[in-house]
Amino acid sequence: MLLTLALPCRCVFQLFYSFFKSLVGKDVVVELKNDLRLGYLNIKLTDISVTDPEKYPHMLSVKNCFIRGSVVRYVQLPADEVDTQLLQDAARKEAMQQKQ
Amino acid sequence: MDCGLLQAMAEEDEEINVYNEETFGMDLDTHGTTEVPNNGLLQFGELPSPPPPPPPPTPPLDPKPPSRHSSPSPPRQRPQYFPRAPPGQRGRGRGQRGGLGRGQMFEDPAVVRIVQGRPSIKVMHIYSLCEFRQLSSAARLHFDVFLVFKGLDSAIVDCGNAMYQNSFEDDMHSFTVPGSPINLRQPLTPRQHYNQVYTKMDQTCSDALKPIVNVLAKNSVDLLVSVVTNDTGGFMFPMNRPCPSTPQSLTPKMMQLRFGANSPRPSPFYSPSSNSVQHFRKPEGWDPYCNLMTAKEKEWITRLQMIQLQSEHPYLEDYYYQEYYRRIEAKMAEEELGIRGKREPPKLTTPYIMKSDSYTPVVHIEGSLGQVAVSTCYSPRRAISAVNAVQAQCPLEVIVFLRHLASRKCINLPDTDTDTHFHITGTKRHQTTALFIVLLEVEETERMKTTVLSEEEERRLMEKTQKKVEHIYSQLQHHDPLDSGGEFLPFLLVSKGKRLVARLLPFLKHDTALKILRIVTCNLPTLMSRDTEEALPVLYPSLRNVIGGLTFSQLIGLIKDLTFESLTTSESLTLACQNKFGLSLLYALLSQGEKLLSSGVPLEPSIGDFETWTDTIFQVAGQLSQCSLVEPLLLPSNLLTLFCRYLDKRTLHQLKSNME
Repeated sequence: MLLTLALPCRCVFQLFYSFFKSLVGKDVVVELKNDLRLGYLNIKLTDISVTDPEKYPHMLSVKNCFIRGSVVRYVQLPADEVDTQLLQDAARKEAMQQKQ
Repeated sequence: MDCGLLQAMAEEDEEINVYNEETFGMDLDTHGTTEVPNNGLLQFGELPSPPPPPPPPTPPLDPKPPSRHSSPSPPRQRPQYFPRAPPGQRGRGRGQRGGLGRGQMFEDPAVVRIVQGRPSIKVMHIYSLCEFRQLSSAARLHFDVFLVFKGLDSAIVDCGNAMYQNSFEDDMHSFTVPGSPINLRQPLTPRQHYNQVYTKMDQTCSDALKPIVNVLAKNSVDLLVSVVTNDTGGFMFPMNRPCPSTPQSLTPKMMQLRFGANSPRPSPFYSPSSNSVQHFRKPEGWDPYCNLMTAKEKEWITRLQMIQLQSEHPYLEDYYYQEYYRRIEAKMAEEELGIRGKREPPKLTTPYIMKSDSYTPVVHIEGSLGQVAVSTCYSPRRAISAVNAVQAQCPLEVIVFLRHLASRKCINLPDTDTDTHFHITGTKRHQTTALFIVLLEVEETERMKTTVLSEEEERRLMEKTQKKVEHIYSQLQHHDPLDSGGEFLPFLLVSKGKRLVARLLPFLKHDTALKILRIVTCNLPTLMSRDTEEALPVLYPSLRNVIGGLTFSQLIGLIKDLTFESLTTSESLTLACQNKFGLSLLYALLSQGEKLLSSGVPLEPSIGDFETWTDTIFQVAGQLSQCSLVEPLLLPSNLLTLFCRYLDKRTLHQLKSNME
């Protein structure tokens, strides 16, 4: 997903962007609600490739795309690139900041 | 030739020159001077070598053109159409081209630039026809003209055929059905041939091709292009010329339509990319959309989007990213220094959540209306909400419902009182979350100590840290009468509490840390049995550091708690042997004893310590040799040395095989 979305409240999405910043350049798989799975790049989805090209041949020529958030079912992240403990800490910090 | 004809030809030449200047503006070089191109519109470099020997005769093809999809023909190209520049901008193209320099990434991708490209097949055809004049009658070229037209647009093919027929039939050049050798009877001069070609082209071909034919025919005598056909009928690019699809620097004399910055035009013979994801894509030779964005353009977009994330307080607003990379850099620094190699990293396994074998998605309770949906792994949010809702009030109906679910194995319930358990668990989780925030502040303060220069500032930070640590410790120690366990135990029963204690232990003094260690060893069977999420291993690294600082007396005291109070029965000892954390804790205590005994440091034991120690060795060794052992989190290297000193060979051998 492109980061050019207009955010009504930036503080709510700080952790979101901070987390996905760490995934830039890493391989992720975005699974859409129509069962289409795109992979091999960060959420900005440049240089994408389809994990099942036989089922979706029309996507072979698509290299860059913008995906509306409401159609995303899952974003599969590489486990090695995610620090869950740090993510929990960051979530707690953000909750604390929002309370303040 | 008579003078009239010559004059007519000269006038015609002038008209053609004017037309070319207006259309292409190619007479201007980078200096803006007029230069008559000797080589024509499409410049193919120097004069090539004489043509190669004629290819072997190919079998005649069917009159019906073959399907384009059956053979790997190159992608069809549209007729090259060179747009006429407006009068004010004519000839500016080349001069201005060098000025488009504000970074290629900001260039307007809609700007069309002219670079060298592949000559059209139509042009090749004209060349070849003209060059037939140069060949002797003996050097007949078995030229499958039809193959040249193969792959072209129908317009070009039609034009070619029409021209083909009209021009050469009038000259009594007999060109038979496509595919047969070409016989030249009466060779024409280039000018005569040009006149006929142009005349017939005027009648049959589209306007787009006229300029090409005009210029090429005019200069056809000087040019020689070798046309090579392959077996499939497609044409190959001349060998002495680089493929225009390869990225090359643009020069004013290179002409091909390009869009974007250095976007190469694909070629059917372009070498495939070595990209690791190639198997998910067609070969780049067949992908006209590849390489639309260069690396610089992608970088540009990334930079633009990162600008949105700029902030004055990166550590606050971009905490995850900053901290994540700080840890990565610290790890890399450690690896470089070789520190990691010296330490024995604890072998930890990540905890996993036990999954129920089966579940009923819909539950019907007797006496209730309709059916009740059960929270499953597909809707974790509802499960979490259900737990939070229960913790506030625990009415009897809910308890009955939960017990019903437990009986159907929909959820896992511990074997304690349901109402108090959920109440306590939910409360403790809530408290733990609040304590975690304080702990984060403590860790941040600890990190700030490294950047502080003055001692007073450092002392102030230490006091601040100590206060917070004591606050957390007192909250953990607080004994609730409703709690079934003692101090710290309610927090240790939840996974979040275990993580909190594990991260708090490094900040505690030795005495307070020892107290927590004692509570863990005394309640080890309870902790092991109620560790459904297998979160106990997170405590191991911190507890091992505490064990490493124990004296011999303290160690013996802990061993007594472990073996004579908690693991008194063989069943409980067996349970410890089959639990990773329990077995690892036992190994760590024995390893510390062996380390103290072999170090030579005065132990200052109390009365009966050595007897306790020896009895413990025999008891544990006997149990370890009999029951099956799980793989521990860390196997200390001095453990076998310890057992060698006390056990006989048979028992030792059996124990060794069990441990391995």
